[in-house]
Amino acid sequence: MKRFVGMWLVIGAVLVGLVGLFYAFYALAALGAKGAVALGFPGFYGSAIVNAVTLMAVTLMTVAALLTVAERKWSAAMQDRIGANRILVGGKFALGGVPYLLADALKMLTKEAIYPVARSRFLFEAAPVLAFAPTFALFAVVPVGPEVRALGQTVGMWVANPDAGLLWVFALAGISVYGTTLAGWASNSRVGMLGAVRASAQMISYEVSLGMSLVGVMIAYRTVSLQQMAIAQGADVLGPIPALGLLLQPLGFLVFFTSSFAETKRAPFDLPEGESEIVGYFLEYSGMKFGLLFLAEFVEVVILAAVTTAVFLGGWHPIFFEGWLKANLDPMLFGAVCAAAFLGKLILLTWIQLVIRWLLPRFRYDQIQGLCWKLLLPGAILNVFVTGAAVLVDPSLQVLAWIGVAEIIAIFGITLAVSKPKAAHGGHDHGDAHGHAAHAAGH
Amino acid sequence: MAKDTDNLLVVPAAPAESPLDAPFPSKRMLVNLGPSHPAMHGTVRAVVELDGETIHGMKLDIGFLHRGFEKSCENVTWTQVFPYTDRLNYVSSIMNNVGYAMAVEKLCDLEVPERAQYLRVLTSELHRMCDHLTLVSAMGLELGAMTVLIYGMEARDLIWDRLTELCGARLTSNYARVGGVSRDMPEGWGEKVERTLERTAEMVDEIDRLLTRNRIVIDRCRGTGVISRADAIDYGFTGPCLRASGEPYDVRKATPYLVYDRLDFDIPVGTNGDNFDRYLMRMEELKQSDRIVRQCLAQMQPGAIASDDPRFVLPPKPEVYGSIEGAMAHFKIIMEGIKVPPGEAYACVEAANGELGFYAVSDGSGRPYKLGVRAPGWNMLMALPQIMEGRMLADLIPTFDTVNMIGGEVEQ
Repeated sequence: MKRFVGMWLVIGAVLVGLVGLFYAFYALAALGAKGAVALGFPGFYGSAIVNAVTLMAVTLMTVAALLTVAERKWSAAMQDRIGANRILVGGKFALGGVPYLLADALKMLTKEAIYPVARSRFLFEAAPVLAFAPTFALFAVVPVGPEVRALGQTVGMWVANPDAGLLWVFALAGISVYGTTLAGWASNSRVGMLGAVRASAQMISYEVSLGMSLVGVMIAYRTVSLQQMAIAQGADVLGPIPALGLLLQPLGFLVFFTSSFAETKRAPFDLPEGESEIVGYFLEYSGMKFGLLFLAEFVEVVILAAVTTAVFLGGWHPIFFEGWLKANLDPMLFGAVCAAAFLGKLILLTWIQLVIRWLLPRFRYDQIQGLCWKLLLPGAILNVFVTGAAVLVDPSLQVLAWIGVAEIIAIFGITLAVSKPKAAHGGHDHGDAHGHAAHAAGH
Repeated sequence: MAKDTDNLLVVPAAPAESPLDAPFPSKRMLVNLGPSHPAMHGTVRAVVELDGETIHGMKLDIGFLHRGFEKSCENVTWTQVFPYTDRLNYVSSIMNNVGYAMAVEKLCDLEVPERAQYLRVLTSELHRMCDHLTLVSAMGLELGAMTVLIYGMEARDLIWDRLTELCGARLTSNYARVGGVSRDMPEGWGEKVERTLERTAEMVDEIDRLLTRNRIVIDRCRGTGVISRADAIDYGFTGPCLRASGEPYDVRKATPYLVYDRLDFDIPVGTNGDNFDRYLMRMEELKQSDRIVRQCLAQMQPGAIASDDPRFVLPPKPEVYGSIEGAMAHFKIIMEGIKVPPGEAYACVEAANGELGFYAVSDGSGRPYKLGVRAPGWNMLMALPQIMEGRMLADLIPTFDTVNMIGGEVEQ
C-alpha cells in the first residue's frame, strides 16, 4: 500500500514538474518570438530556434538518456533484481540509479576507440551519425503542445510544422536505415555484415506497413500534418468521447505500433543486433561511436512513442476535463498542462515498450518477414479500404468510430480466447501430440 | 582461416535450375562462431558456411576446455578423483560423483548403506533440477527473453543454497565417496528442501507460462533442430534428447540403480525430436525430480551414510585420534589410496544430459590404472552439423541450447 501510494505520488510530482517545465518552455519560446520580431523576422523563427533547444536537445535527449536508466531499473523490477544502485551520491544516496546516466556517458566518451584495419574509413565514421541524426531530426515535427498566446506572441510547442508532417516522418525513418546498414558494411566484418543485411531487410519491409498503417489516419483526419491531426483528435465523435486515433483506427494503431517497434530494432525485433546470435551490426564499434548507435535506439524509442501519441493517443489533448481547463486556466498554463499530458502519454508508451522488450524472445529472420508481409501489411491495407469506405459513407466519422469500437472488442475477444490454455497443463497452439501425451513409457 | 575450414565442403552456391538460367555468381560466407561467443557457452567453436542465412556445412571445433581429465585421474588416488569429476558437468556435479563412485564400488564389490543411497538419489535429483533450470533459462536468454534467465537462476540458486548447506559448496560439491557420501543432512534440512521445492515449482510455473505457450518460442523451437528417432539412436543419443525423439530410454528405468526402483516417477517421452520437445522434456523432468526428492525425504530412514569396510572407507574421527589402528588406516588410505581390487568395471547413471558412464580399470594399486568417461553431451554435439544442415543460422542457437553441450564434460 505504501509503495502504491508512493508510486502515485511520484507520478503526480513528475506531472506537476512537467507542467512547470513546459510553462517555462512556453515563456522561453515567447521570448524567442519577441526577439525575432524585434530583429525584423517572423515570430515563429525565434520560437522554432528556442524550441529546437528546449524540445530536441533538452526534452528528447533527457528522456532518451533517462530511458537507459529506466530500462535498467524496470528490467530489474521485472526480474526480481534491484538494478543499478552502485553509484552512491555523497556515499549514501543511489537516487534510483540516475547517476548512471553520467557514468555511462563518461565511460563512452573516454573509452579507447578501436578501429578495424579493413574498415571503409569514411563510411565507418559516418554511419553512427547517419543512424543518429535522422531519428533525432524526426522529433522536429512532433507537436508537443498546442498553439497559445503567451507574452503577447502566438507560440506553439514544436520546432517545425510542415504541411507534409507525416511524409517527413516517413522520409527520415527511411534514411535511418542507412546508418545501420553502413555500420555493418563499413566495419568489414562478416558478422556485422549479417547484421546489416538483416537490419536493412527488416527496416525496409516494415517501412511499407508503417506507411500503409498511417494512410487510414490520413483519410480519417484529411491531413498529413501532425499538428492538424492533434487538433482533429480533440473533436467529440461519439457523445463526449473525442475522435482519438486509437478509437478510429485500432487496427492501424496495432500495425503502426508493431511496425515502428520493428524500426527501433529492439526485442522482439532485435535481429540486427541478435546479441546471442551475431552480436550485431555495431560489433566493431567502440567508445562514443558505439554510444551514438546505442543512443540512436533509445531516441528511436522516444520518437516512436511521440509519433504514436500525436497520431493515435490524442496528441497534447489532456482528454479529461479539457473544456474546463481551457476555460479556467491562463492560456500559457493550459498549454503547459497539454504539453505535460503529451509527455505523460509518451512516458506511458515508452514504458509499454520496455515491458514488451523484456518479456518477449526474438523472432527469426524469416518469421519477421512473414509477420510483416503476411499479417501486418494485409491488415494495414484492409484498414485503408475500411476507413476509406466508412469516411465516404459518413464524413462525420461516426461510422468509423463504431467500426473502431467493434474492432477493439474483436481484438480483446480474440486475445482472451487465444490466451486461455487449451489443456489443463502445457497445452500449446499447435494442438499436435507432444511429450506429455506419452508419459511413463518406462513403467 | 582457410586452414580451419579445409574440411568444409565448399560447393558453388545457387546452381542453375534449368540450362537456360544465367549463372548467378555468388559466394558462400564462412562465419566463425566462437570460441568466445555469447551463444557458444562452454567455449566451443563452430565454423559455419552460410548461404545468406542458411547453413550449408558446419564444423565443430572443440578442445578449448580440454583439461586432460582422464589422464590426470591416473596420477591421483581413487578418492582424489572425486573433485575432478565435479568439473565434468559442472552444473550438476553430484551426478558425476555418484557415477564415478558406483564404478569404483563395482570394482570393490562394496555395498552402500541405504541412507547413503537415498542421499545420493536425492542430491542427484536436486542437481538434475539445477541442470534443467540452467538449460531452460539459458535457452530463454539466447532466444532473447532475458527475464526467464533470471527466474531460472533464482530457482537454481535456492537449490544450490540447500546443497551448500549439505556439502559446503555451490558448484563443486565433491559429495559422494567410495562406499557412501561425505556428510549427512543437517538438522531441519529436509523441511527446508521441501520449502525450496515449493518455491522452485512456482518459478518453474512462471517460466512455463512465459515460454511454453509463447507464440515466438513455439515458432522458434517447433520443427527446428529435428532429429529422428533412428538417427538419434545411431548417434548414441541418451537422456532427454533421445526421449524427445520418441525413444523411452532412461537408465533409471532401464537398469535401476541405487534406490530408483523404489521410487515412483515417470519419464516424459516426446514425439517430434525438435527443440520444443527437448524443452518440454526438461520442463516435465523438473516436476518429476521434484516428486523423487519428496519421496526420498519421506522414505529415508536414519542410519549410516557410509560403508564401514575399513579397506575402502576412512575410519570415524574418534578412532583416528584415539587408536593406533584407526590412525594407521587413515594414514594408509590418505597416503596410498584405497586398494581397489584389480579388474575393470563400467557403471553409468542417468545424468541430466543422458547416460554418464565411468569405465574404471584397476591394477590393484591406490590409483586408477585407466579411467574412461562416456560423456552424454559428446554424441549430441557430434550430431549438430547434421541437424543444422540446410537450416537457418538463427536455429543454431536454440538447438545448441537444447542439446546442452557442456564443455567440461565433452572435453575431458
